[in-house]
Amino acid sequence: MKQIAAFIKPVLNSYSVLFFSQNRILGIILLLVSFLNPISGFAGLGCVIFSLLITKLLKQNSEDYRAGIYSFNSLLLGIAFGAFFQVNFMFVSWLLVACFMVVVTTIILSKRMGKPGLPILSLPFILVFWVVLLASNSIFNTGLLQKSSSLLQEIYTGPGNLAGAEGYLATSLPRLVSLFFRSLSAVLFQDHIIAGMLIAIGILIHSRIAFSLLIISFLTACGFNSITHIYPEGISYYHLGANLMMTAMAIGSFFTIASLRSYLLAVFCIPIGFVLINALTTLMALHALPIFSLPFCVLNISLLYFLILVGFQAKLQLTKVQYYSPEKNLYHVLNLQNRLNDLRYIRLSLPFMGYWTISQGYDGTITHKGEWGQALDFVITDDEQKTFQYPGTLPEHFYCFNKPVLACADGVVEQVVNHVDDNDIGEENLKENWGNTVVIRHTEGLYSKLSHLKKNSVKVKPGDTVKQGDLLGFCGNSGRSPEPHLHFQLQATPYIGSKTLSYPFAYYFNKKDNKSSLESYAVPQENELISNPEINVSLKKAFDLQPGFVAKLTAENGVTENWEVFKDTLNQSYIYSKTTGAVAYFINNGTMFYFTSYYGDKTSLLYYFYLAAYKVIFNDTAYIQANDEFPVPLTNNKILLWLQDFAAPFYRFISVKYKSGIQTKKTGLNIVSKQYQQLAGKTIPLAESTVFVDHGSLQAFVININGQHIEAQWSTEN
Amino acid sequence: MEKLPYQKPYIKKLHAGAMNKFGTRTGVQPVKSIDGVSVKSLIENYGSPVFVLSEKQIRKNYRAAYRAFSTRYPKVQFAWSYKTNYLNAVCQIFHQEGSWAEVVSGFEYRKALGNGVPGNKIIFNGPGKSTADLQLAIDHDSLIHIDHFDELNQLLVLSKNLANKPRVAIRVNMDTGVYPLWDRFGFNYENGEAWSAISKITASGILHLTGLHCHIGTYMLSTDAYGIAANKLAELAVRCQTQLNHKVEYLDLGGGFPSTNTLKGAYLPGNDIVPTIDDFAEVITSALLNFGFANDDLPLLILESGRVLIDDAGYLLGTVIANKRLANGKGATIVDFGVNILFTSFWYEHQVSPAQDFVAHSENMVIYGPLCMNIDVIRESINLPQLNPGDQVVVHKVGAYNMTQWMQFITLRPAVVLIDEKLRTHLIRQNETLEYTAEPELIPAHLNNAK
Repeated sequence: MKQIAAFIKPVLNSYSVLFFSQNRILGIILLLVSFLNPISGFAGLGCVIFSLLITKLLKQNSEDYRAGIYSFNSLLLGIAFGAFFQVNFMFVSWLLVACFMVVVTTIILSKRMGKPGLPILSLPFILVFWVVLLASNSIFNTGLLQKSSSLLQEIYTGPGNLAGAEGYLATSLPRLVSLFFRSLSAVLFQDHIIAGMLIAIGILIHSRIAFSLLIISFLTACGFNSITHIYPEGISYYHLGANLMMTAMAIGSFFTIASLRSYLLAVFCIPIGFVLINALTTLMALHALPIFSLPFCVLNISLLYFLILVGFQAKLQLTKVQYYSPEKNLYHVLNLQNRLNDLRYIRLSLPFMGYWTISQGYDGTITHKGEWGQALDFVITDDEQKTFQYPGTLPEHFYCFNKPVLACADGVVEQVVNHVDDNDIGEENLKENWGNTVVIRHTEGLYSKLSHLKKNSVKVKPGDTVKQGDLLGFCGNSGRSPEPHLHFQLQATPYIGSKTLSYPFAYYFNKKDNKSSLESYAVPQENELISNPEINVSLKKAFDLQPGFVAKLTAENGVTENWEVFKDTLNQSYIYSKTTGAVAYFINNGTMFYFTSYYGDKTSLLYYFYLAAYKVIFNDTAYIQANDEFPVPLTNNKILLWLQDFAAPFYRFISVKYKSGIQTKKTGLNIVSKQYQQLAGKTIPLAESTVFVDHGSLQAFVININGQHIEAQWSTEN
Repeated sequence: MEKLPYQKPYIKKLHAGAMNKFGTRTGVQPVKSIDGVSVKSLIENYGSPVFVLSEKQIRKNYRAAYRAFSTRYPKVQFAWSYKTNYLNAVCQIFHQEGSWAEVVSGFEYRKALGNGVPGNKIIFNGPGKSTADLQLAIDHDSLIHIDHFDELNQLLVLSKNLANKPRVAIRVNMDTGVYPLWDRFGFNYENGEAWSAISKITASGILHLTGLHCHIGTYMLSTDAYGIAANKLAELAVRCQTQLNHKVEYLDLGGGFPSTNTLKGAYLPGNDIVPTIDDFAEVITSALLNFGFANDDLPLLILESGRVLIDDAGYLLGTVIANKRLANGKGATIVDFGVNILFTSFWYEHQVSPAQDFVAHSENMVIYGPLCMNIDVIRESINLPQLNPGDQVVVHKVGAYNMTQWMQFITLRPAVVLIDEKLRTHLIRQNETLEYTAEPELIPAHLNNAK
């Protein structure tokens, strides 16, 4: 029973993936629509099951197997067989043979083309079906009988029991509208208005963005043709649907992240499509072969290859992680753009302990100029902004003198200078400009340099491996330094005196009016008072969820869930709810814990925990707050959401924000968070939650959402 | 022309010493205001005598001390030593700055709770904790610093069958090269008592050994002692980790840093001989940093400084009552504050400054308090200009211990005033009244004649 259920998913996906979706409803609609021509329907379903069985036996990549990647070409083959050939004994046997050929071609092509990241689209079907057509048209008897064109026509316009409604619709609908629906049905080799309508509804449920692209491309193509009169009788509904509209949908929302530019690209594909359709028709007419969706394949694959080769474009991004939904792809990219600096930069910490002041920032007025502009000078100041204790005549009177200087990240020591004398106050040593210096290599093309250290204070030597926070030496007054200070810069080359590189610090506290705020991935400015984040050990320990961590959660109503933490092949950690199958990816960078994405059942306790602990800073200062935004709107208002989806590539008017702070209570720490929606300047509270932490472990959480009160306890853990 | 102040006739002994370029000046300067608020107005508004505390100076001291440690060591936490000065307003300043609370009695513990300090940020020290106190500390998840085996045994009894293990530390006493050796508090390091206490706690399975604590002395004038103490505590912590597989989260080096008051019998003034907080920080932090902990695994360093953070932020303002000449010809001045409220005058030679202009001549004199007790001597010998009855004086560096160790004896205890950072004055403790002292008293009916 379980196996059958597990089999239904790839079957339905084989249908929905025709429209780049994994939506079950769309899959069911397409399955039903394919049976409008019962022979095609049976042949298609048979081919899907046959090819799924083969790929399952061959133990091919199970993810692609489940997504229907190996079976949708067979589906097309089956439907086309049913549409083009008469049923007889040979029909079934040749169908099986052809289906096997499609599977073989699919695997060859997908493995070869997958390397540079290209899709196979319907190429296997086209190639195999050409072979079949050429064989059946040959002088030898294959036993396959092509339906006569009149027969085809008859099937397409169909006298069946749909005729009444179909006929009524054909006359009562405006010509363009009925053409639109017929074009959609063409993807399944049909010419049914009702089939098209059902497919349209399915696509609308699957994705508003994709649907809007279908309409835009349809109108563009018709408009373009009415101006240019390339096809005096109008474009064939088949090419409209299977080539032009599908191309626009794929390139505009599936392979790229939907945006203004992706929409423009999709529109621009229409005239190219015209050229390709005409050219390929002429070419293949020599062999009396129909071109099917070849223009769609050629256009999509070549544009995609082009985009891969030109590299990253901020405003026209390729879809890196495919969620099979233009909306999900878009919302995740938008969300991660602002949130995933942890994966983009090396995590640099400040090279000292406690609060220091920046006496000269980037492009400062004293010495940070030109190519050496991206450097920072640090000193320690007191409440009166003085850097020294009375009388300030010796380096020892200065607060920063002889204070530990640390490695800002893991690395290998490249260069050390340790012999330069410390200057008297007010003197500068321009001859040995940088004074005592340590250069550390963190990665290819990223070196940090610390200068003006105290003479003979450097504790490391070239070749030493240092960890973040290791003691390198002590702050001094050597080189071009009239008073003790620490010079810090990042550079692309290992030399002392290299030009500087702008690079942010991962996390630091910025103190203003005696209140600290957490800055992330920023470059501190002149006169700012900054320190490494002060970390609450108990909070940090509570969220230190290493792979293998298991927890059992018990809700108020007695429902339990078992969670375990895993790491995937990309080294990303996630919590997996064994009970509901839900998955929540998270990052813990030592300063904060935050979730990056959630998949699965939205009634799982894991989902509520994801909402409650979306972002937690490991600091218990009452006024420090974590602010963030959720990727996908949480609201229940479907109409509003759909409107948002339509507009999303260009403008987002709903945003769901998250805010959390730590309250210290008699029994440990409470992480109090609020989830609220911002819509047209109005703030609407959505949920309120509290996570309880005590003795360095998670104890419980409560959340009030949509009038529901959910409370769960961690009952066991390791 | 302004009328010259009256100057009493006096006789001065002629000294035949070498001449010096400073002439006969004593260096005494009048102190007419505190943080810009005039002494006169303070006495006018709040009476005489009156304690005055400077919020600005308290915060400045705290920040300087915290800076000294936090720029040398990554994990530093201060805990305000309540016994030094537990006026609620004072405690709140320290808590605002980020200090935890360090208490040594059930009374202080409840005071800290009352000040809104979360239980897990209260350190409970001291040899005299009652069962009720311990139970309270367990309930609030506080850090209990165990002083002796009897307390440990009592805790073991109280901690049976608890869902969360109480967090405890042991107090360790040790030889740091400073005499007298403080061995009356905690468990001894050298004779292995501390280690057996640690073993007993970890073996019990019902107490969580969170930290190690020591308090090697008070008014320590040697920084080396702290280096030795830090090393010995770190050694215990590492031994805990390697032999018992138990990680100690913090090392509490206690307090004991001196203020710049001059101790009685000291040859040189405190300002000249007392090491700065930076000197102590340097020794303690370098001992810990060099001990061999991994830098992301360093224990939290807790300090329980009291005196050094507040002594010089406190002033006692008083008024001269009378002048006298003693039988031996030495001058004596009687002021309106006695040793009952200036307890530290038993230990320190407090600096006393006149609060108004004075004539250049000064004379060696005794300052007596107003009590009818022979012990009531504020200074046995001090060079001051002549003071007339009604003149006001300022006693410096009285912020530590006086406002906790003072006693209601013969006179009533005076008001305490806080000058905030915007130079506004706030009454933070009213002067005592007869009713206040009489309130807890009960008179048996047969003795009650005041009908």
